[in-house]
Amino acid sequence: MYDPIADGLSRGWRHIDASTLRTDQEFDTDVVIIGTGAGGGIAAELLTQAGFKVLMLEHGALYSSRDFRQQERWAYPELYQDGAGRKTLDQAISILQGRTVGGSTTVNWTTSIRTPKPALEYWQQEFGLDFAQTNALEPFLDLATGRLNISEWLLTPNHNNGMLQRGCHALGWQYTVIHRNVKGCANTGYCGMGCPLNAKQSMLVTTIPAALDGGATLISRVSARELVWRGNAVQELWAVPVDAQFQTDPRVKIRIRARHYVLAGGAINSPALLLRSKVPDPSGRLGKHTYLHPSVISGALFPQAIHGHQGAPQSIYSDQFVWPADGRIGYKLEVPPLHPVLMASKLTGVAEAHADLMRQFNQLQVVIALLRDGYHPEAQGGTVQLDSYGEPQLDYPLTDYLWDGVQRAYLSMAELQFAAGASAVLPIHNDARMYQRWPQAKAAIAQLPMQRYRATLASAHVMGGCNMSADAATGVVDPQGQHQQLRNLTICDGSILPSSLGANPQLTIYALSWRICTDLIKKLSV
Amino acid sequence: MMQRRQFIMLGLGAGVSLSLGVTLYPLLQSTDKSRADAATLVLDALLPALLHGALPSSATEQQAALRRSRDAVLQFLPYLPRSQQAQLQQLFLLLQQRLGQLALTGHWLSLNELPISARLQLLSSWRDSYLATLQQAYHGLRELLYGAYYGQPLHWPALKYQPLEFNPYV
Repeated sequence: MYDPIADGLSRGWRHIDASTLRTDQEFDTDVVIIGTGAGGGIAAELLTQAGFKVLMLEHGALYSSRDFRQQERWAYPELYQDGAGRKTLDQAISILQGRTVGGSTTVNWTTSIRTPKPALEYWQQEFGLDFAQTNALEPFLDLATGRLNISEWLLTPNHNNGMLQRGCHALGWQYTVIHRNVKGCANTGYCGMGCPLNAKQSMLVTTIPAALDGGATLISRVSARELVWRGNAVQELWAVPVDAQFQTDPRVKIRIRARHYVLAGGAINSPALLLRSKVPDPSGRLGKHTYLHPSVISGALFPQAIHGHQGAPQSIYSDQFVWPADGRIGYKLEVPPLHPVLMASKLTGVAEAHADLMRQFNQLQVVIALLRDGYHPEAQGGTVQLDSYGEPQLDYPLTDYLWDGVQRAYLSMAELQFAAGASAVLPIHNDARMYQRWPQAKAAIAQLPMQRYRATLASAHVMGGCNMSADAATGVVDPQGQHQQLRNLTICDGSILPSSLGANPQLTIYALSWRICTDLIKKLSV
Repeated sequence: MMQRRQFIMLGLGAGVSLSLGVTLYPLLQSTDKSRADAATLVLDALLPALLHGALPSSATEQQAALRRSRDAVLQFLPYLPRSQQAQLQQLFLLLQQRLGQLALTGHWLSLNELPISARLQLLSSWRDSYLATLQQAYHGLRELLYGAYYGQPLHWPALKYQPLEFNPYV
């Protein structure tokens, strides 16, 4: 099978694995891009095509389809941030983020959703961003859609998604067939471990190869540690290699001087670099208002086989509850792919009870509800801070407003699963048990304590922390992604979102990065 | 009336300096070997409890499955952030020391001398503790240990999980 990474490397791509460096290094470039995920990948292609000398930095390793193993025990440590063990400071929410060339786009589940209108309207109202009014984002959503082959998934949903669809249909709830960024997808279900067929149109197989073909350089296994700045400009960037387990190794120093610095490390790592660099923060918003779409989980057993590990992981979602009119927090309903490590670690219980549930693995169907945080005074997200090693930790408070959403989400998911034909439903909460009928589940869920560690919460979408705003008093970057105080620093990743989206963020990040880099190219070309 | 274990845990909680509710002393005094020994001891004690009901019935296969899972945890730990590694090492060291053990388990007996039912009771008491640090310990260890066991293809027949394999990995 054709492997675009192996092919490119054999053709002489400029790639340096920083972990092999033994002496200090210096680089001079037009633009350095820190991070190779959705934001950095788009930036790399556009800036290279515009004729700039581009240097890409990535904390993770450069892997390709021939490296990807369809096993979680390989994928999580090698492709995910902190071995998929990233958590909030109080450890109440697990956070899945990619950390490899291509970032989260290499391991995400391919769901591609255009920026919801209510989110754009909220940004207009609160942050003066006129994306909705002037149609400023639509053309870039279209460009990204074309570049990454985003289209509606026309095959029959797998049974895990099919039950979400069936439940919605039975209850008269809204649902949508998901658009996916795939080309030649074989419907296998291993998107989360790296696509073995190069069908997923991640940054790894699209924009990054294009940038490397255009003469860009990629340094993998490198950690950006500090932006050195003076006055209103960044002077240089200091970085160090990482070891085989992706821990920083300060024995070799890498110094990079660039005309312009593009930060795209994601919504936790980007603020962390800026905090380590002690950049100006007059708005007080750096590393603040970090959103997670905290996700609530509900398992169900069906009489028939579900085989939730087979087929496109996500092909149906429901927005029935995502934008409620009563001001309470909304939530989007989706399903996750079911693989043994992910399920075993999230399902509640121990010993025989846990083993019994795992033995029914193929009958298991799981729904998740993604809470739309960031639109209410009691849902203002978390704060990125640095630990004693200089690494980020996200302090994310769980408020009563959020807990109200958690409880309603458990109810909606159980109702849906029973309506789809589940023989039993298990809200993933430490005080819940398996319920055989909807009225029983409804009564029990109403009594569950809504407290951290009792409810199992997870996140796969990290947003905010360097938010955009038209007013420097309320944002870290301006609507063009330009840092408000440092003139040669642009940020284009999930960190610039002023709220959560109520939708999976990759397409919004592609479009914003495209828009920002189109402006940046004009600015740098003057 | 306050039970003895609650009293001990309250004392432990009052002296917190790390997020696991303990002092740095054992970690600072420890060597690489003592940390590895502590981790091995604790994992060898907790894995049979958590996996009770999931392990193969043959004694030989059971031992092999436990060894595989313990080794998988030990191989995975260096990928965690250094702050999380420090917390876990601290917990492992305390659980193998007599005083720390008493504080965390309420027993003078070493962890691997307790019957499986007592080890499960211990985990339940952490899960339901009013101390956030013990709840974190419960959830953290649970995720780590179940992840290690169910990551092994040799443990999948019970699940009837039949993954595709484009690139073999053994």
